[in-house]
Amino acid sequence: MAGADSPSAALRRRDLCARGIRLAGKMRSDVVDLLDAYVERQGLDASASVAAVEGVPPAAVEHWDEQTGTQRLLENLAAYRAFRALLAQMLEEQREQLGEADAALGRALAAVLLQVSAFAYHLEELLRLESRGPPSEEEDGPPPQPRGLFEQKLRGLGVLRELAQWAVRSARDLRQLAKPGPGAGSAPSPAESP
Amino acid sequence: DGNTQFERVGADVTMKCGSMDWDATVTWTANGTDIDESHLNGSYLILKNVDLAQSGQYSCYEGSSWHLKYQTSLKVGTPPREPVLMCRSNNYPKGFYCSWHLPTPTHIPNTFNISVIHGTKEMVCEKDAVPKNRCHIRYLQLFSTVKYKVTLTVTNALGKNFTTLTFDEFAIVKPDPPESVVAKPVPNNPRRLEVSWQNPSSWPDPESFPLKFFLRYRPLILDQWQHVELSDGTSHTITDAYAGKEYIIQVAAKDNDIGTWSDWSVAVHATPWTEEPKHLTTEAQITETTSASTSSFMAPPTTKICDKGAVVGSGAVAVCWTAGLVVAAYSVLFI
Repeated sequence: MAGADSPSAALRRRDLCARGIRLAGKMRSDVVDLLDAYVERQGLDASASVAAVEGVPPAAVEHWDEQTGTQRLLENLAAYRAFRALLAQMLEEQREQLGEADAALGRALAAVLLQVSAFAYHLEELLRLESRGPPSEEEDGPPPQPRGLFEQKLRGLGVLRELAQWAVRSARDLRQLAKPGPGAGSAPSPAESP
Repeated sequence: DGNTQFERVGADVTMKCGSMDWDATVTWTANGTDIDESHLNGSYLILKNVDLAQSGQYSCYEGSSWHLKYQTSLKVGTPPREPVLMCRSNNYPKGFYCSWHLPTPTHIPNTFNISVIHGTKEMVCEKDAVPKNRCHIRYLQLFSTVKYKVTLTVTNALGKNFTTLTFDEFAIVKPDPPESVVAKPVPNNPRRLEVSWQNPSSWPDPESFPLKFFLRYRPLILDQWQHVELSDGTSHTITDAYAGKEYIIQVAAKDNDIGTWSDWSVAVHATPWTEEPKHLTTEAQITETTSASTSSFMAPPTTKICDKGAVVGSGAVAVCWTAGLVVAAYSVLFI
């Protein structure tokens, strides 16, 4: 495997970052559309404040600009692995609740789940380039199940909102990573704007 | 005694002459001018339905000795109406600012108090020295879904009012307009204009938080704008300009992912390149036309001039009939 600072690793990192940024942009756009559809079909109030939901990784971060490249990747990866499990659970709940009556919502959820999985894979590849490798997935079991139908809906709202924020944050994180410098851990190739 | 008295417009005001009895003989003045006795009730000064013009220094003098017994500065004004508050981040992700004003003046001093709450946390909005009605906040967190709640309270001696704004981090992001917009003609290209600009200097990190741009342009003689959205780069070549026409061009900016478009930049004007008219060697007074006008025709140098009387038609299509014969001859040659 090429060293983290080799020119080929730097090129691969830049390529992965550029593709990741595009994927994050598409993911955000799809999540925002899904959020609108979800709110409407679940009969929720779009402006409702949802308190931090257990198991949903918050995108909010302090001292974001001081994070190292590896920190960014690890936090992103942990988040998207969590979203993968949460979305899978939501998909299951949605099928049980509405069955075939709302196939469009189910398809949209499945499409976002696919993108989240793809993005998680992207992050794992980037971590491999850091000569660190991705951490193994924790065997904690599935995320906690909301008790009632209304709780399920509120959690779904919380999941999608945080995911939309994460998609924006991830694009910013990858742009930081793509910059040359100690924080990004990149090779000494000159920076180019993506 | 020097003191200040605030009263609402339209109020009835009664001023006592200090500790003087009601039936004492006194003289009241307003800004040094004696006030007519008709405004007095004993030694009390009665001002009915006060208006702004009645603000001033009121003094009361004992009748015979002219000792000053009481003095007050009357300020007529109104309680504050609901203030207008605006918050915006033009330097994302560093922070945001809020600015405010009153929809109508109160004519008396006001104090403003602003509170910013993010979730359960109270944040400090540091007031700017200039302008005074503005304060700024540094973001402690980024990418939060928790909304910000900003409450502005305005208080004066006659009352108070307040307004509240609630928003999320992304919604208020609005960059300043692009700077240093330059538009230039492109040599030997009569339909092109090259436009370039710079990121607003207030945007702190365009590399990590890139901006996208919206360009609009139109010839001065038309009202309809053409629009182009550009996802990267700070330059663009317009390729469909009308030859020879002066254009007006503006650019706006927006964060690539969040927020709203900036205001339009300062407008720049430019005219596409046009060919210099060729120097003619004959002594004839031939009307010169530019080669940018595709409908014009340059008579070959050997063509005879037209006498004014030989002109047929009018306006842009006036053709000298002798030149017309030459044109016809040339056309036949080229068919």
